[in-house]
Amino acid sequence: MIDFSFRRRKPRMSRADTDKSLLDYLFRESRAMLSIIDRDGRYVTVNPVFCSYLKVKEEEITGRHLSDLWGKETFKNIIAAKLQTCFSGQTVRYQADFNIGSSEEKYFEVTFYPLKNQSGEIVNVLAESLDITELKLSLREATRKEEDIKRLEMTVPVGLLRCKPDGTIVHFNDNFIKLIECDNPDHLEGVSLRDFYSDKSLFDIHLMQMRQGEIITFSRVPLVTLSNREIKCRINGYAVTDYDNPDIQWFDFAFEDVSREVMLENRLLQAKKLETIGSLAGGIAHDFNNLLGSILGFTEMLGDELKDNKSAYDITGKILKAGTRAKELTNQLLTFSRQVEQKKVPVRVSDILGEALSVVSSLIKTGMTVRERIESSEVTVSADPTQLFRVFLNLMTNAVQAMEKTGGTLTVTLDIAGGQVFRNETGKDNSSDRYALVRIEDTGIGMDDAVISRIFEPYFTTKELGKGTGLGLSVVYGIVTDLEGELAVKSVKGKGSVFSVFIPAIAEVPGEPFTNTTDSVRIMFISGDSHESRILSGALKQSGYTVQNVTGKDEFLNIENERLANINIIIYACEEGVISQPDFYAKFIDGNLKIPVIFIAGSQCDISGEKLLNSGIAKHVLFKPVSLREIITAIQLI
Amino acid sequence: MDVIMIVEDDISMREMLTEALTRRKYKVIVAENGREALLKFKSSLTSLVITDILMPDEDGLKVIMKLKEMNPDLKIIAISGGGKAGPGNYLSLAKALGANEIFTKPFPLKALIDKTEELLRSEQSG
Repeated sequence: MIDFSFRRRKPRMSRADTDKSLLDYLFRESRAMLSIIDRDGRYVTVNPVFCSYLKVKEEEITGRHLSDLWGKETFKNIIAAKLQTCFSGQTVRYQADFNIGSSEEKYFEVTFYPLKNQSGEIVNVLAESLDITELKLSLREATRKEEDIKRLEMTVPVGLLRCKPDGTIVHFNDNFIKLIECDNPDHLEGVSLRDFYSDKSLFDIHLMQMRQGEIITFSRVPLVTLSNREIKCRINGYAVTDYDNPDIQWFDFAFEDVSREVMLENRLLQAKKLETIGSLAGGIAHDFNNLLGSILGFTEMLGDELKDNKSAYDITGKILKAGTRAKELTNQLLTFSRQVEQKKVPVRVSDILGEALSVVSSLIKTGMTVRERIESSEVTVSADPTQLFRVFLNLMTNAVQAMEKTGGTLTVTLDIAGGQVFRNETGKDNSSDRYALVRIEDTGIGMDDAVISRIFEPYFTTKELGKGTGLGLSVVYGIVTDLEGELAVKSVKGKGSVFSVFIPAIAEVPGEPFTNTTDSVRIMFISGDSHESRILSGALKQSGYTVQNVTGKDEFLNIENERLANINIIIYACEEGVISQPDFYAKFIDGNLKIPVIFIAGSQCDISGEKLLNSGIAKHVLFKPVSLREIITAIQLI
Repeated sequence: MDVIMIVEDDISMREMLTEALTRRKYKVIVAENGREALLKFKSSLTSLVITDILMPDEDGLKVIMKLKEMNPDLKIIAISGGGKAGPGNYLSLAKALGANEIFTKPFPLKALIDKTEELLRSEQSG
């Protein structure tokens, strides 16, 4: 055992020379401040490092009490207890900061070692103070940097993620959790980043590219969130290696959701495309109408020439009919290109929506349900009621057709939306601060992005051949944009679609809401049994009228006049398959009937509305397409 | 014999209307654009004008205004097949500017002729 007993001043050399030389060696060579302290708490000896730190000479220190150097308080509060512990046989280590000489603060790791004499008695304490200022400062700097990084991770609007070389996620920030719509971060444990890629093979390609060692940017990568929604991300990726190990340790990623950017860009592109198609279609329709006008005009003249030749005359009739159908078509194209004037009046959206709903309810089959939520029944817009009706009817009919095979729920809602909602959903600047927002939602077959991007183009249809003209939605688009409104579509293949119609709201018009006095009004609806007439007659029934349908050429002629006495109003739809006008009038005049007639003129009718009114039979003439509102107004006026 | 002026830039439409009105024994003057119409109108005894709305060189709306300035009692029928440029249909504007009747192309020829005859009759009686 080494005898470390020291005495103050000239200690008696009662220990082995080797011990002495070892301690001397230590005192000479160590970079730590060394001192030997006796049981009284006085310095027995100190090394040169100690002296140079405190800028004193050894003889100035030896024999002085620790409290002289470090202050009474510090000695009492910190040092004394530790010294005592050491004298009881334990090595004591602690950290301390001192002000030495100048104001410069230094950090030390102080260790008290008990020193024993040959008989094993603790006689002194060896105090070693190691300057750890640099270590302490760099640690503090490292902690600060770490905190900075953490704060940065939290504040950057970017999802950050680190994964193992096989893709297993090891670290991520809050924004990544938000980005992938994760409600519990624990769910990400052991999950691979590959799982979030829509196209898994793309992930492997990305990792391969990142192995090149540079930061690589991947734009518009489709990812699928935990709520199964596809988003587009801009991804920066970097392969991380260790200092002297070329193997890749991690892959670091930064994700930025650019779905909205992509959506807005697509919308803009779509709008531009529709505008181009619109002016093209409008131009064609205009020129076509001129040609059609001359074809139909000459055919009429030819018909006059051929009056005595019945079979030839009939042919001119067929040409006229075909021409009239061509006219309907150009009219739809012109509506799409916003070149048909809408007669705008203040309209309460809920009224028109209600009409369209009652018409559509006749199309609802088993397995389908209709939900209606009218939040703002007073919201008023400036629009052509017939055209607005057409918009809603078209969208609702499409919704119902989308659910034909699967069944589902048609949800129709009416709200008021501000400019922000408008901008968010349409990607366009708002021209108004207040919009009537109608959403027509189905849970039907849905559409993919390729279809959505084209649905408003004329002649684009996904319906079976012969089932749709492909003009319906393009006409809807034309009508809505002409009202300075917008349409927004959201759809998920296999899940359903939502069409949102925004129309600038105007001040509400006070007055009685639109009501029907339907009690005990009996209507005879004479038609060619066209789809439109069936819908209209169904809607009248829904509205509470008693409706008797008369179809075919002879049915009306065969009805006894007594039966007609019951009828309050006759609606005559001039269309294919209906009893001819001359026959219809003949029965009226022969039977001396006094029932008021509402005449619905289709494009096949070449008799002007005025003439019918003058003849005294028709009280009202309505032109197709006729909305329920129009016809009810006509009924109420009688 | 009444003189009718047809102002129409589309040749097929122009020919058809000329044919139809000539058959009804009217004297027909044609103009391919508004400028020509105004020039020809001054030296004629036109009692009714049928004019297209959208035409190069003085559109139909200006023609209507200027003709009405020259002869406030002149009967005018405006016809249009929808605008090539810009939204809206100018027919109701034409009516506001003084056109007696408006027709959207294509229209039943008989309706146009009936209206023409009616307007000319009312001119004679009034």
